[in-house]
Amino acid sequence: MRQLTSGALLDAIRGVHWPARRVIGGAFQGAHRSSRVGSSPEFMQYRAYQQGDDLSKIDWKLFGRTDRVAIRLAHDDSSLRTMVVVDASASMAFPPDTRAKWELAASVGLALVAIAHGDNDPAGISVAGGNGTVTLPPRTRRGTVANALQLLLETTPAGSSPLAPALAAVRNSRRVAVVSDFLSDADALLDRARELVAGGREVYAVHVVAREELDPRLRGDVVSDPEDAAIRRPLDSAALGEYREAFAAWREGLAARWRGAGVSYTLATTDEPPERVVRRIAAP
Amino acid sequence: MTFLAPGYLAVAGGLAGVVVALHFIVTREPATVPLPTARFAPDRPVRARSRTLRFSDALLLACRTGLILAAGAALAQPIPLPERNPLARIVLADRSGSVADPAEVRDSVRALVSSGDALVAFDSAASVGSLSAALVSGLRAAVSMRDAADSLELAIVSAFGGDEIDQATDSIRALWPGGIRLVRVAARPDTLMQPAVFVVGGADDPLRYALPGAATAPDAEVRVVRGVPGGADSAWAGARNHALVLWPALSPGAAVDTVGAVSAGDAVVVAPFARGRREADGAGRIVARWLDGAPAAVETAHGAGCIRRVDIPVPSVGDLVLDSRFQRLASRLTGRCGSSARSPGLDGPRLAALAGPGKPARVAATSIGRLRVVRSPLTPWLLAGALALGLGDLLLRRRRPLRMPEAPS
Repeated sequence: MRQLTSGALLDAIRGVHWPARRVIGGAFQGAHRSSRVGSSPEFMQYRAYQQGDDLSKIDWKLFGRTDRVAIRLAHDDSSLRTMVVVDASASMAFPPDTRAKWELAASVGLALVAIAHGDNDPAGISVAGGNGTVTLPPRTRRGTVANALQLLLETTPAGSSPLAPALAAVRNSRRVAVVSDFLSDADALLDRARELVAGGREVYAVHVVAREELDPRLRGDVVSDPEDAAIRRPLDSAALGEYREAFAAWREGLAARWRGAGVSYTLATTDEPPERVVRRIAAP
Repeated sequence: MTFLAPGYLAVAGGLAGVVVALHFIVTREPATVPLPTARFAPDRPVRARSRTLRFSDALLLACRTGLILAAGAALAQPIPLPERNPLARIVLADRSGSVADPAEVRDSVRALVSSGDALVAFDSAASVGSLSAALVSGLRAAVSMRDAADSLELAIVSAFGGDEIDQATDSIRALWPGGIRLVRVAARPDTLMQPAVFVVGGADDPLRYALPGAATAPDAEVRVVRGVPGGADSAWAGARNHALVLWPALSPGAAVDTVGAVSAGDAVVVAPFARGRREADGAGRIVARWLDGAPAAVETAHGAGCIRRVDIPVPSVGDLVLDSRFQRLASRLTGRCGSSARSPGLDGPRLAALAGPGKPARVAATSIGRLRVVRSPLTPWLLAGALALGLGDLLLRRRRPLRMPEAPS
């Protein structure tokens, strides 16, 4: 967790924005283009005055020049309530000596919270691990990023906790990012993501994969799933090829299904700096 | 090198063998490493593999077997004993006058004695050997040889005359824990057969009852004169190997004192003898003694024969002369020259008792004499070596690397 505590990550993402992928209909002032007509300085069009319109919105200069009573319409900027859900199951604590997957997931999650908070969006984080799900609701106030950092630092990946309930609990957020290896309940998670997308939410899926998972160098040993003791299989040189093929096919299928559901899917490997992963997510 | 408790070494050897067998037989569980994506590996059964003999494993095996063997050797208490014979024989050779032919004794001894054995020649200057003294000498020799041999065997080469044993022989024999090899050689003839005795005296002489086999003809080898000997008697004794026994009858009133017992060789008679004036104090071979040690019969050489003076009164009253002990005493005193105290050779049962039950068995050297506390000088070193090997085992096990997934290159 040196990268989180050193502040280098937050320095690296300074100036990065995470705009909404489409016009949104939020009521709060923010940095994202809203579907509502508001009073921002950016002019949109004139509309004839109708009974009931706010008299203060009448363009009196236009009335003086043309004797037409019209209302000046402008774009409205809206905030985007953002929630980042981070998987803290036992499979994220891999490799056991470096826990690189959890380092990357925590870094990406914190960076997304920081970017959203920097855009004046209410940002929160939810960490689902063996001890249950701990959620910091979206806030815009100062200290939100620090609270998220503290939560991540206090979390130790363990157990096998499904991520779908945590995703279902963030329906009131308009933008949801899921940082996980999708090894626990990928199908249920995808169903919840579909529901969110159908509800007009922006969903981002960040798939964290360790380099050691892509290319394990365990010749002649038995590998076991840290979340399921029943899965215990030999992985020798003969089985390594089949393993790679099966894992690659699963990743491709996972990406296709998530993208097909309208989710922004990003694959992040542990040998990639987290700030680069965040830039790919925020500015694709 | 010998071991005081070799059983421990055998047990340690067995345990070491078990350790070696387990090292090669026991299979090990393959190392299991966590991999979150293990589900993508092909589902095949996990099989235990036999243990490969790596260098560290060989060192561990050497440490463990060495530890067990060192501890077992320490408990077995090795004692370095160079040139320790498996068997040493102690040969007691009778060189006394009881043996007819010394060359026969020499030949028998040569057949028994080999390198490392002990030869004890006893009573070479005596006319009658003493088996008790010989056995004592043999026991002393055994004590001195107990550290040079694992087993000891005692052999006696003797004529085993009846006069060579005494009251202490059985007790001394019992000190030897095993059997004794007895090699009997020919004895002097006079030790085996009582010569013909002619008594010169009255027909009612009570001595005749003590010598029931006395000859009636005067050509016997031994002549007993109860009265005053004449010149013919002395000439008869000195002419050939004749024994003239001067055994005067004690005249009434000549008694000086009384004494309770008299002995001649193994013949002992306990009775109130009226002792007269001591006539047998002169020079010569003492054949019989009184209870207080005074000579009761003395033999002196006379020409080719001898003259034996006996101062033991023959009671004319009572039945003492009919007692077998007195008859044996009379027989001893009327023997040939130089053998008046001798008796016939030991009979079979007596010899069997002397040899002991069963065959002459080898006796463990440790059973001879007082037990000596032996401490192995190698025991502390072996225990220290075992401790060092145990520590080496721990170090080797700690240095074995924990197999982890390799880091990406």
